[in-house]
Amino acid sequence: MIDPDLVFALRSIRRTYKVGSELVHALNGVDLTIEDREFIAVIGTSGSGKSTLMHTLGFMDSPTEGQMAFEGRDVSAISRGERSRLRATRIGFVFQSFNLLPKLTVLDNVLLPLVYGRQRVANKKELGMSVLERVGMDHRASHRPSQLSGGERQRVAIARSLINQPRLILADEPTGNLDTKNRGRIMELFASLMDEGITLALVTHDDEVAAYAKRRIRMQDGQIVEDSAL
Amino acid sequence: MNPVGDIYTGAANGLREVWSNKVRSLLSMSGIILGVAALVAMVGIVQGMLGNMRASFERSGGVLKLEVHPQEAPEWQQHIAGISPGMTWRDIGAIDKAIPLVAYVSPVVDMNWERFIANGQRRGALLQGVTPDYSGIKLNEIQHGRFISDYDVASKSPVIVVGAYIADALFPGQSRVIGEQVRVSGQVYTIVGQIQPIESVTSPAGRSSRFNREERYNYIPATTAMARYKGDDEVNRIEILAHDVGDMPDLIEQIENTLTQTHRGISDFEIRTQDEQLAELKKLENSFTYSLGGIAGISLLVGGIGIMNVMLASVSERIREIGVRKAIGARSHDIFIQFLAEAVVISVLGGLLGLVASVGLLSLARDFIPEGENISVMPVTAMFYGFLFSSLIGLASGVYPAMRASRLDPIDALRYE
Repeated sequence: MIDPDLVFALRSIRRTYKVGSELVHALNGVDLTIEDREFIAVIGTSGSGKSTLMHTLGFMDSPTEGQMAFEGRDVSAISRGERSRLRATRIGFVFQSFNLLPKLTVLDNVLLPLVYGRQRVANKKELGMSVLERVGMDHRASHRPSQLSGGERQRVAIARSLINQPRLILADEPTGNLDTKNRGRIMELFASLMDEGITLALVTHDDEVAAYAKRRIRMQDGQIVEDSAL
Repeated sequence: MNPVGDIYTGAANGLREVWSNKVRSLLSMSGIILGVAALVAMVGIVQGMLGNMRASFERSGGVLKLEVHPQEAPEWQQHIAGISPGMTWRDIGAIDKAIPLVAYVSPVVDMNWERFIANGQRRGALLQGVTPDYSGIKLNEIQHGRFISDYDVASKSPVIVVGAYIADALFPGQSRVIGEQVRVSGQVYTIVGQIQPIESVTSPAGRSSRFNREERYNYIPATTAMARYKGDDEVNRIEILAHDVGDMPDLIEQIENTLTQTHRGISDFEIRTQDEQLAELKKLENSFTYSLGGIAGISLLVGGIGIMNVMLASVSERIREIGVRKAIGARSHDIFIQFLAEAVVISVLGGLLGLVASVGLLSLARDFIPEGENISVMPVTAMFYGFLFSSLIGLASGVYPAMRASRLDPIDALRYE
């Protein structure tokens, strides 16, 4: 039985790619459970499978083998459209390179998931402004991403991931493009989200960043080699 | 799922994208703009021209008109062809008396291109001998004075009804020329009537050659023409107008019977209807419609290929954006709609600009093309189809790029630099 209170439950997950005639095992038998309000850092060298794990958790990639459940539901039974909807409503993404759309204002970038989530929101602008206020970026709402610094862009990206009040935020090297000062601010912001009931999983190869997390998972050759509470 | 909302959002995104790449969008629209403008303008101009031809056809009697022309007797009658008096003045009287289905009948006695002299001016123009009925067959409006009368015909009066060309050319600056004398190839005539110019509005380019030709006709009594120029009572042809188009078969048969009698059984005449001309006109219309439609279709197709090209470039440029949108919850369907809407927005805007351009082109055409006054500045049907077709082309040319965009794998798209 899969516990519905678990955010994610993964059993013997494998993800195999075929590169030319060779098989690459990006995930090679991963067992993992993610509970509510956890703050997990996934660390490992490049090629260890941590990005594939994040993509799998974000429903952008599907395992070749194994069982995977999200909030108690068998993921293999969830349609593509429904997976997109879950990304728009239950899961937030934060990227290393921010990935804001350059032609949209800060506010419009933040509101974008609402368009795809198709939720009825009485006052979108108000909601967007409140989320921007949460990350301290409300004064830049009408600016374009190109007018912002790296740290500011990442805060806007975090606001975008928060707009749908997600259960889980997946962050892929969120501080990789930031200086030390901004790195600290962003990590404190992430840490504060946990108190709001959000589960966080972030990929990093920076031990200082990983130190903000409550649980550390180390990956190597597509397998979890260390899983420890901090 | 809310398709209306999807389309609205798609169109809004499309507009924003078009607006933020103004130059590129305008360039990609140019094919559609030119295609629609050319299509609508060409159709408008051709419709105007064909309208002129139809008007001219109606003016010369339309489908109700019949012409009887002399022809050689058939071979089996050749040896006795001499017993026929030929087409003469008596045929007119016979038709007039014997056939009640005839509304108007008039002989036409054709002279050559004659020299008209008055006021020390000389001009070449056409002279025809006719009877009063002719004014009912060929719809010439009398501007001043009157047409040829029965009395003129009976008394072979030296009177003339002049066309607008002779009135203008021989009596410049004189709007009314009734009572003036004009010498035609040595014979003097008194002007009793003056025909209204065909075009009441004169274009800057002047009147067209064809209407000028119509305005060069001048009329004298048929009897005067026969006496002064022919020396016998032969006529060149007989023109007849029927009351009703349904009478035509009966009328043709009765004319044939009547003339066979007056020609003593010799079939040395031929009855011509205007059907052939009407068929020619229709054929011309069709060939114009198809050839113009083809050309415009090709140019719109080229415009569509232009849009497809730009959309494909746009997809390649925005692979990362597509990845981001998918990562934050956009379905393939959303991406498809987004790019399709952009293509449609480009083609719809292009189509609208093309319509505006076509109005400009047609206004120019009105001023510079001879007979252009009949060209409509807004040929509504052509505009409707031009716009519809351009929008459909835009839709079709957006499908493939939109499909490419929607099928992108979000992980690959996010990694794309």
